[in-house]
Amino acid sequence: MVEVTTSFRERLIDFTMYCRERQFMLGPQETLDAFAIAEKGYALDRTLFQYSLKAIYCKRKEHFDRFDEMFQRFWSRFYEEKLEQRKKQIKQLKKEKDTATIIFLGTEFNLPKKEIKEQEAKETVGANESIRLRLTDFSKVNIADKEKLEELAEELFHQMSMRFKRRLENANKGRIDIRNTIRHGISKGGLLLELSHKRKRKEKRKVVFLLDVSGSMDTYSYYLLRYVMVLKKYFKSLEFFTFSTELTHVTPMLRQNNEQQILQQIGKNVHSWSSGTKIGESLTEFIASYGNKFLSQKHIVVVLSDGLETGNVSVLKEAVRTIRRKCKTLIWLNPLKGMVGYQPIQKGMVNVMPHLDAFESAHNLDSLLKLEKLLMDV
Amino acid sequence: MNKEIQALIKDFYEHDYILNDALATSIFLLKNLEKPLLLEGNPGVGKTMLAKTLAQHLDTTLIRLQCYEGLDVSTTIYEWNYQKQLLHIKLFEQEEDKLALQNQIFGMDYVLQRPLLQSISAEKPVVLLIDEIDRADEEFEAYLLELLSDFQISIPELGTIKALSQPLVILTSNRTRELSDALRRRCLYHWVDFPSKTGEIDIIAKKLPNIDVELASQVVTFIHNLRKSSLIKPPGIAESLDWAKTLLLMNQKNITDEIVQTTIGSILKHKDDVEFVRNKTVQEFLYPID
Repeated sequence: MVEVTTSFRERLIDFTMYCRERQFMLGPQETLDAFAIAEKGYALDRTLFQYSLKAIYCKRKEHFDRFDEMFQRFWSRFYEEKLEQRKKQIKQLKKEKDTATIIFLGTEFNLPKKEIKEQEAKETVGANESIRLRLTDFSKVNIADKEKLEELAEELFHQMSMRFKRRLENANKGRIDIRNTIRHGISKGGLLLELSHKRKRKEKRKVVFLLDVSGSMDTYSYYLLRYVMVLKKYFKSLEFFTFSTELTHVTPMLRQNNEQQILQQIGKNVHSWSSGTKIGESLTEFIASYGNKFLSQKHIVVVLSDGLETGNVSVLKEAVRTIRRKCKTLIWLNPLKGMVGYQPIQKGMVNVMPHLDAFESAHNLDSLLKLEKLLMDV
Repeated sequence: MNKEIQALIKDFYEHDYILNDALATSIFLLKNLEKPLLLEGNPGVGKTMLAKTLAQHLDTTLIRLQCYEGLDVSTTIYEWNYQKQLLHIKLFEQEEDKLALQNQIFGMDYVLQRPLLQSISAEKPVVLLIDEIDRADEEFEAYLLELLSDFQISIPELGTIKALSQPLVILTSNRTRELSDALRRRCLYHWVDFPSKTGEIDIIAKKLPNIDVELASQVVTFIHNLRKSSLIKPPGIAESLDWAKTLLLMNQKNITDEIVQTTIGSILKHKDDVEFVRNKTVQEFLYPID
């Protein structure tokens, strides 16, 4: 046994808290285990200490992949220096906000200083950090918040997936399982005192996602893509397409377990990323090529797009009308709906609105998480 | 690195299992912190083999519980031996003392021990492998929690049975579904990835001492680049070994297009994957452009 100093214990607790802030599932038991390995002398060997804490603190692959870097950051002076740099960066960013710009349809507009201040104050007043991040528009995430938002998104999406899983399975209801009832009855002298039920799985919903990856959706596409990747794990019959000037069937690329590999695959194969928008033509192509397979009264179709159509609006109108007629529910998620004062008055949206079952925003984490209820209630 | 861990790596190597430092540390903690170890990773990376090798290393018994949907207490923990109980009742039905009779038939002699109960009833610590836990239902995960945290099992008629010796528990999962946080928090964790190229060449050379190093290198390069493609079922280490063995039996010195066409069944198990590879040349996998 090695005597562990109070200052080292405090540092270890700080590290636990540092990991906890980054969404690691750590309770007092993990801290006690960390103390135990320190007392056994494993902290005297840096590699052994790192791998030991890794085995104790990580509970899933996403944590496992990030741990080494976090360990290095925390336990070396480099971390202190980075922290100083980060503080400077934040100060610099605050200064830059006075001359903020927004890119809209490829054109850069200067926004009045007052308007931005009001918008951000509304987002942050009375909110703690995680609430603030949940409510931050994806297009306004600064460098300092990007990493934290990534981590928060990962955790919240994971929690959401757990809720999906629980709701989709119910083992206590259903028809009586005669075989098991008799079997359990034997231990009670042959009396059938308790009825056993067979697991009746709820019919899993069939969902089709159509994600607009055109230039005007650039700041949102990445988060929406991650969101769909999480849903794919729990909706076995989820089909995923991206579109801008052409339609791409992305589902086969989601087969990989590794999220980074999926993103790489999509990056390689979706050639129309950040290009123009031809929603109507893309949806028409979807109906023609995949309609027979993925449009039925069992399918929910979710279109994630800002609706800024550059093609023929009547084509878009006809395509949406056809999809609505053939599917069970049609949901349109528009990130612009989160903007203060937004009205769906663009030609594209005006023609589409009458055929939608739901029209929601998808501009921040909070609005994406609210979709969960929408999907479950259908 | 700690001497004990170095010894562990060496001993596992002698049992034909190549450990890296991080995985060796996890095994070391499994032995020293007495907490279960959850191994996650793609199929075919050697998770199950690790448990088998650990049992060999400790010279103890491996008790394996293969999980599947619908697994319940009677197949994993215990079941009453109804035939024996009925026979006993029949033999002693004239007994006056019915309470004593009842106590007799609900004793340990009338319990059929299933893997989990066997593992805590053993006098010497055993290795308990709970394989592919992600295939079992969530309810089964809940049964496991008591065993994993306190190493005890509760049987309503008998009370709580504490472990005579604490088993070394290894759980494996292929991540076909997400495991509960409660289960994860009771375990140490390690993500078992595919080995590096040199690591995999070492594995092949260790398992097939007669293989030419150049051929082993080509096999590993081909398989590594194959794993980077979006296959439905990427080949694991077992597939690499099978293929190397096949090529060795066929006295091949190099991998050619013809050989790939005829032996691809050793590494790929899905029709779409086979077609994907058949439409490409060996050069594309041995010397990829990017």
